[in-house]
Parts: sequence; structure tokens; C-alpha cells
Amino acid sequence: MSAKAAIIDDSGPLAFEILPYTGFPQEAATAVMGKVLARAGAAHSEVARFLSTGFGGKAVPHSDGAVPDTVCLQRAVRKLNANVRTVINVGGHSFTVFHIDDTGGLGESAITDMCTAGMGMFLDVVSTALEISPDEMSGELSLSGKPLFIDNQCPIFAESEALSLINEGYDRCDVFAGVTSAVANKIAGLARRLGLKEEVAMVGGVAKNRLVMAILEKNLGLRFADLAGIDPQVVAAYGAALLAREGCSLDNQSLSSTAAERLHREGKP
Amino acid sequence: MLTAGCDIGALTTKAAVIRDGVILGCEVVRSRAKALQSATDVMDKLLGGLGIQYGHIDYCISTGYGRNLVPFAQRNMSEISCHARGAHWLAPSVRTVIDGGGQDCKAIRVDGQGKLSDFRMNTKCAAGTGKALELMARSLGVEVSELGPLSLQAKEPVIMNKPCCILMQIEVKRLVFEGRDRADIAAGANDMVAREIMHLVRDVGQENDIAVTGGVAKNVGLVRCLEKYLGVASVRFSVDTQLIGAIGAAVLAADRCWEAVADRSGDGATR
Repeated sequence: MSAKAAIIDDSGPLAFEILPYTGFPQEAATAVMGKVLARAGAAHSEVARFLSTGFGGKAVPHSDGAVPDTVCLQRAVRKLNANVRTVINVGGHSFTVFHIDDTGGLGESAITDMCTAGMGMFLDVVSTALEISPDEMSGELSLSGKPLFIDNQCPIFAESEALSLINEGYDRCDVFAGVTSAVANKIAGLARRLGLKEEVAMVGGVAKNRLVMAILEKNLGLRFADLAGIDPQVVAAYGAALLAREGCSLDNQSLSSTAAERLHREGKP
Repeated sequence: MLTAGCDIGALTTKAAVIRDGVILGCEVVRSRAKALQSATDVMDKLLGGLGIQYGHIDYCISTGYGRNLVPFAQRNMSEISCHARGAHWLAPSVRTVIDGGGQDCKAIRVDGQGKLSDFRMNTKCAAGTGKALELMARSLGVEVSELGPLSLQAKEPVIMNKPCCILMQIEVKRLVFEGRDRADIAAGANDMVAREIMHLVRDVGQENDIAVTGGVAKNVGLVRCLEKYLGVASVRFSVDTQLIGAIGAAVLAADRCWEAVADRSGDGATR
């Protein structure tokens, strides 16, 4: 789990910050805001508008409002690469695929929010059990393996399965590569179900895992769209910042009506 | 006739010895890395306490996840058969057994003779298991053993709607931070796990009476939630319910012996 923050001004991004946490989202939000303000060299009072998003979006203290992550991602991806028509977002506990139509609006979406299979958390649980650090996870280790087949979709069972494979003498890298490939295939499954319209962008923390990306590209038979070199983990935060900037130039009423419309389109009351 | 049952679980290993339909003793030890070590540990401890030599045991059946790795057992049987037999032997009116373990959950149907007739088991998701309770208890800052008593003090149980133990855990964390009453959260956690277990029970078909066994049976709050959904009170056992698998194995071992005796006398008669 991590908290992400972005600060932008009229000319563009000033600072991004990512803070992994294990405690409460409210505390993490305050901490990551402190860090990103320090990095941008700005004071909180200088922030004209501050929107929050994500799993703990509603819990963020002093936020001017919480927006759905899909809306943030759509806004940010549209800004970063206007040719993207499908966005795959896989974070720690988020797993969504959605379309962006030719006018830049949100299209169809598919969300998995009842099961951790395919989410980043799956990799977290298993990597903790196998004592693999996040750096190793997205680094050389994940590229080195001949993936073993991992049967289980539930992280709890996959953890046991991975540990038994280790006890049977299999290489830890190959076991973890197998787990990674199980996650990638789950992601490909949901993406296919919604339908892939090119170009396709992959965002969220899992997009940092090179093996997941490689397997997905092979499985889906495409190359992921370039997102101007942004860290895939901060895309939603960047989108929230873009929405906040748009909000500054709009009067309050039109902002709230567009926000309500977007919420309605996302199907969340 | 002296028979033994040895149940090697992922977390704990249990053994029971019975003589002529009476339990002589039971023992629980923590499972070691190797199934054989766990089995030897528990049997040494149990037989040592009873003053019985290993050679005096007529028949031993092993069960549980390490069941095929126990050389001193004459036979191994699935823990499902053992739980069915054990629960029925202790309470003959039992027709449905809900066995909730650390990482698995089973709804088992038993016939009038104590034989397994059908069962359902979770294969894909850990939401209805002790692991889910453990993760939620951790987020709540209590021991998993406290979850049951704590939940009984609830006034307005929270309603959880994420049927995934990882997501449940995060949900609990959020509720704690929001300042919800801990007892209400504990009750919501028990209710969520009970609802997951009930999917299996409804699928296999509920027939009364019902026994709740395994580690989750120790959670009084969870058992009450299950009883609410089942519409009946569950059967109470005088023994620790985590021993039922081992007891069932020992009873099945005795059944085997009786069969062998019957076969032998049958042979004699024809000769």
C-alpha cells in the first residue's frame, strides 16, 4: 500500500511523491502531502485546490473533495497520451480496465473489487513470504526466472503453494516468476473481457514490474503506450491534481455538476 | 482393542487413543517442518503420558495434510472422512459437519452410520477460513481468540461486503480508524466469515443436527452467527473440537479392526 501525491501549477507538474505505508490512510495522506510540499518548495496555504482519490480517498484530511480514481486516471492519461483508448490500472488493491472514447470521455469499464486475484497485493503477500524486497521484485529477479505454474488465484493459497515449492527445492526466483505470471494472466483476462482498443496504457504500481509488463505485452500481442515517462504509480494522483486545476478555473456550481455527472457515469452514487 | 488416530495439520498435530469405545487420551502439539517429526512428537507425548508402548496399539490411522508421510500408521484416510466419523461418533444425531480450519473450510454430510456422504470445500478463496479471522483480528489489534468474546458485546455490528480476506483486513483497518466500536467490528468480521461458510453449507444441503468443528468452532461469536443463519443451535461437544479429526481416525481404526475380526471369523466358519 502506498500514498501518492502530485503538485502541479499552470505550467505543469512540480513534484510527485510516493510513500509506502502499513498504518492508516489518513496518516499516510498527511505524511505524503508534507513530503510533496517540501519537494515542490511550497506551503500548504499556497495550494489553491486539493482533491483526493483512491481506496482511502474519502479519508484524506483537508481534501476539497474525493474523486473516483477512474476519472483521475482518464484525465491524466488523456493529458499524457491522447491516442490511448484503453487503460489498465492495477495497483495494490485496485484493478480496473476502462476505455477512453474518441472525444476523450470515459467509456466502458470493468472493475474487480471483491477479490485480490490479479492485484498488486497478491505480489506483496507472496513476496513477503518469500522474503523478496520490492526492489528485487521489479528488478533483475523477476526477469531471471523460468516461471513455475502457480495454480492458486487467492494470495493466501498462493502463499502456501509458493512456500511448498520452495520447500521442495525450487528456486525462489522461478517460484516468484510463476506468481508474477499468474498475476499477469489474470490482468490479461480482465482486459480481454472488456476488449482492447489500441493504444493501451498500463498504470498503477504493478506497471513497474517489468516481468508483468513483458508477459502482458506478449499475451495481449501489443506494445503499451508511452506515457511521457511518468511513474505509473502516480498517474491517479496527477489526474486528481489536473482535476483540481480545472476546478480552480470553473465556478463551483459547474464543477460540482460535472463531478456529479462523472460519478454517475462511473456507476457509483 | 487399542487404536490410535493421528491428525497432522498445517498448524497443529493431534492424536487420540481409544480402547473399546472409550477415549483414553488426546494430545495436541505444534506442527514441525516435517510431518513425520510432528507425528512422532505427538505420539511420544500421548503414549508416554498414558504409559502405553507403541507396539500395543492394534491399528493406527493417520489423517490431515501430512497423512501419507507417517510410516507407523497402517493406513491413511482423508480428514473429511475422519471428521465425519469423529463428529458422528461423539454425537450420533449429527448429519452435517461444518469444519473450519486455518486455510480451509468444509461442509460435510454424514449418513446415519457416520459415513461421509457428500461434502463441499473451499478451493479458490480463503474468505471463509480461520486465516480471514486471523488477518482481521490483527487489524483490530486483538488476538484471534479474543474475536469471539469481544463480538458478543456488540451493539450495532458493522456490515462488511468485501468477500476477500485481504480486502476485509483493510476494511477493518479503515473502520478502526473511523473510531467504530471494536466489538461492533469484531461482530461484523465474524458475520462476514459465517456468510462465506454458509455458501458451502447451502450448496451441500443442510440436514440437522449440525456440528461445528475445527479451529473456527472456538470462536463463540462466529458459531452464534452460523446458528443464526442455520436456524438451529449446533451440537455441543465435551471434547476440544480440534481433536475430532484425530478421534475420528482412531474410531475408523477400530472399525477396521472389527471388520478384520469379522472377516477372520467368517473365514473360519467357511473352513
